This record gives sequence, structure tokens and C-alpha cells, in this order.
Amino acid sequence: MSHMHIPDGVLPLWLVFAGWIITFGILSFCIMRVKNVKLEQKLPLIGIVSALMIVGMTLEIVPIAYHVNLSVIAGIVLGPSLAFIAVFIVELIIAMFGHGGITVVGLNSLIVGAEAALGFYLFRVFWGVVSDGRLSAGLSSALAAVFSLILSSSLMIGIVYMSQASPGRILHKDEQSSDEKMLSQGLFERHEKHLVLDKKIDIERFAKTVFFLGIFGWMLESVITGFVIGYVFRVRPDLILSKVT
Amino acid sequence: MDIGLIDYFANSGKSFLHRSPAIHKIILVVFVLASVVVTNDLILLLSIYLVLTALVILTRLPFFKIISIAAYPAIFGVLFAAASWNGSWIRGGIIVLKALSAALAMVLLIVTTPYPSVFTAINPFLPRIVVEGLFLTYRSLFILLELMGNLIRALRVRGGLSPRGYIKNITNFSSGIGLLLVRGFDLSEKLYGVMKIRGYSGKMAEGEKKGFSQKDFIPVVIGILILVLSVVLWFENDFNRYHVFVLIVSVLFVVIAASYVYFNRDRGVSWKS
Repeated sequence: MSHMHIPDGVLPLWLVFAGWIITFGILSFCIMRVKNVKLEQKLPLIGIVSALMIVGMTLEIVPIAYHVNLSVIAGIVLGPSLAFIAVFIVELIIAMFGHGGITVVGLNSLIVGAEAALGFYLFRVFWGVVSDGRLSAGLSSALAAVFSLILSSSLMIGIVYMSQASPGRILHKDEQSSDEKMLSQGLFERHEKHLVLDKKIDIERFAKTVFFLGIFGWMLESVITGFVIGYVFRVRPDLILSKVT
Repeated sequence: MDIGLIDYFANSGKSFLHRSPAIHKIILVVFVLASVVVTNDLILLLSIYLVLTALVILTRLPFFKIISIAAYPAIFGVLFAAASWNGSWIRGGIIVLKALSAALAMVLLIVTTPYPSVFTAINPFLPRIVVEGLFLTYRSLFILLELMGNLIRALRVRGGLSPRGYIKNITNFSSGIGLLLVRGFDLSEKLYGVMKIRGYSGKMAEGEKKGFSQKDFIPVVIGILILVLSVVLWFENDFNRYHVFVLIVSVLFVVIAASYVYFNRDRGVSWKS
């Protein structure tokens, strides 16, 4: 739900660049953080988890046409830093297949990366601090998934709001003849400027729609996350309890 | 997403685009993306899409398959256009054409370039861990897709997935993903072991070593032309009166490309090497 499928050239340039800059900043921080980890051993792990996320995204769940991100699972298994790197890789690959614009990879990485990192920390909170081990790994991860999906969806709404509020949306084009207007009607032409200013997306309505539709997706993804982590914890607990990276 | 098919197209084609260096095609994609970002002109966007369509024809790959793969983002383009509808069909058309053009440029790159070449070309611009991760992810994808296919088949055969048992389906499907995760980890450990034995030392992607011919620069030239036109239209409004000619030229390009491929076709499937 939090994954943005916005095409290229729609979001304002400043927002796209900001997304890339922040993503590269976080990516550099994550790489620095895992400097002491044996990367040669972790690289195949990142590859497998990233591949699993892509496979999850390619499987549409009938009848609600929803695809799972599995980002919370990536966060829990890889740790926040490696999970962010995995999310960036996933976003880059799926953008290459036309699954969302290539220019919005930065913003998408931020949203899904935040989902993964929050998923990891919330899982630790629910499992250890809050429940003191009374909650099962599956239930803790399901709760972590719900909350991280709500927070990442809020982040997405914030980004959409910023894209509307940008002064960069009101651009260029001073004079045009009537026949030119018929053939060339830019997104933010002169005669539409006021319309664009006045016709901002009603963020409240947009947020309500996202949260209403999101409930089904969050429930589904949290149930899947709970079952997956529950299964992994039964079969290979060392994967869940490994050193934080 | 038919990843296997895309990989097959990239490795089996023999067109001039297949032979062009990956970096030249990436430059084309970057220029097309830049044009899509700066252009808000319906005619120019349509022209860019037609030029890319002509390039798809020249690759001699299955045309409708490529177009359908690249049409996926148009669904979201339509949704986005509908969500921000202000009564202008042209505005909606611009959003959809932006999505289609950018996606077709990307798809054109990946169906004509094997993935190690793409990752090698972007190697200097990304951290090593990301490039290596990209390579390993792509490699793992095919194994996981096969495992997933087997898993779903096994679930269906054993009654694990039934048309109306949604809760049961989700439970079984989730356990299946868990199983894939565990098997994936085992696989990654084995993969790492094999890589170590074969001399893996943290660097895998090798640079391309090949001389350039004149044909190799065609994607770059097309990319420059598209970008120059877009930038000129962006800065110079007076140039708008000529953009119909740009459309006519792009339509001609499609016709010439189709005619060339039609009259120079081989018997049977002509795009395979």
C-alpha cells in the first residue's frame, strides 16, 4: 500500500531530487554502519531477501489486487541497515521493469525503507520490551507490520501533500496562441496556473481514502508477515535472533 | 512481470540495439527520462513514444509483448490522472504518455541488454555493495521464481489453494513464503560457498572490453535529439508551432522501421541469435 506507483515526470523535480539525496545519505549511513560486518557473507543474504521481496511483489493476491512488499520481514531478518540497502536494490530492479517510475526510486526507497526499519524496531519492542517474551514471534511481527505500514502510508501521504504544495509546480510558459493551446497543453500552463493552485488534492480526503483502503492491505500483509516470521522462528530461530545489522 | 522472458530477449537478440554497449543505451534512457520530466507537451511526448516504438520494431523482438510489458505503468498513470482530474483530457493524456514513454525506454534497455552488462555500466555510480547486491538479487530471482512455481503447484495439487478458502489460502501461502525464505537462506549460504571456491573476493562485475562501431552510437544520437527537442520546446515557446512536424517525422520513423523489418525479415523467428 505504501509503495508509490507514480509515473516519471509527474512529481516536482525538487521533491524527486530531495528523495534521491536523502536516500543516498541514508544509504551511505547504512553502509558505514555495516562496515564491520563481513559483507561478503551478507551479500548473498541481501540478494536472497531482495529477490524474495521482488517475488512477493510480482504475486498479485486475488481478488483484492494487492501485492505484498515483505519489507517488514526483510527488516526483521536483515536488520534496519541491511534491509534499507535491500529495499533500494528492490526498488531499482522493479523500476527497471516499469513497476513505478525510475525517478521516484529515491522516494519509494525512503517509504519502503522506513517500513522495514520501523518493522524491525517495533518487532523488537513488541517481542521484548512490551510483552517481555509473552507474545509469540508471529504475533509480534504482525503487530509490527500493522504499525509500520500505517506509519509508512502516512509518510506517503506526506510526500503526496508536499508534491501539491510545491512552488515548483507552477512553471514556465508565458504566451501561447489558441491553436498552440489545442495542440500543446502542458500540465501547468498559464491559463491553468490558478486552477492548479486552487485545485490541490484535498489531502484530508486523500488520507481518508488511503487509510480506508489501506486497512485491508495492512491486515493482509500483517497476517502474512506473522505467519512467515512464525514459520521461520519455528524452523530457523537463528535467522530472527541474529546480530543486529 | 515476466522476468525469465525479458532475460531471454536480452540474451538471444541480434539487433543493432542488442549489440550496442550498455552505457549507450543507458544514456538514451537517461535522456528520454530527462525529456519526459521537462516536457509537458502532448505532441512531443507522443513523438517520443513513437520513436521508442520504432526502436522496439527494429529490435525484431515480439512487438506486442514488449509494448504490453511497458504498458503496465500506464494503469497507474491512468489512476493518477483520474485522481488529479481537472477536466482536461489532454492533461490526462500527458500523464499517461509520460508513464508509457519512460517505461518503454526502460524496457527497451532491459530487453536488449543482459543484466550483468547493465549492472557493470552503472557500477561507477553506485556503492559496491549495491552493485553486487543487484547482481546477486537478479541471480537469485530466477531460482526463487522456479521455487515459487513449484510451491504454488504443490499447494494446488494438495488442495492448499482453493477458490473460496481465502483464510486457508493466506495461511498456506504465508507458510510457503516462510519456506521460501528458509530455503533461500540455505541457498545463499551454498551460493556463497560456491562463489568462494570460484575465487569470489567481493568483486564480480567485470568491465566490457569491446571496440565501438558507428552503429553503436545510434542510441546516443537518438537520445541527444530527443533531449535537445524537449529542452528547446521547454525554453522556446515559439518553437511549438513546429512540433507537428516532429510528430510527422516520428510517424515516418515508425513506418520506415516497420518496412525495413518487414522487407528484411528472415524465415521463422528472426530476432534470435
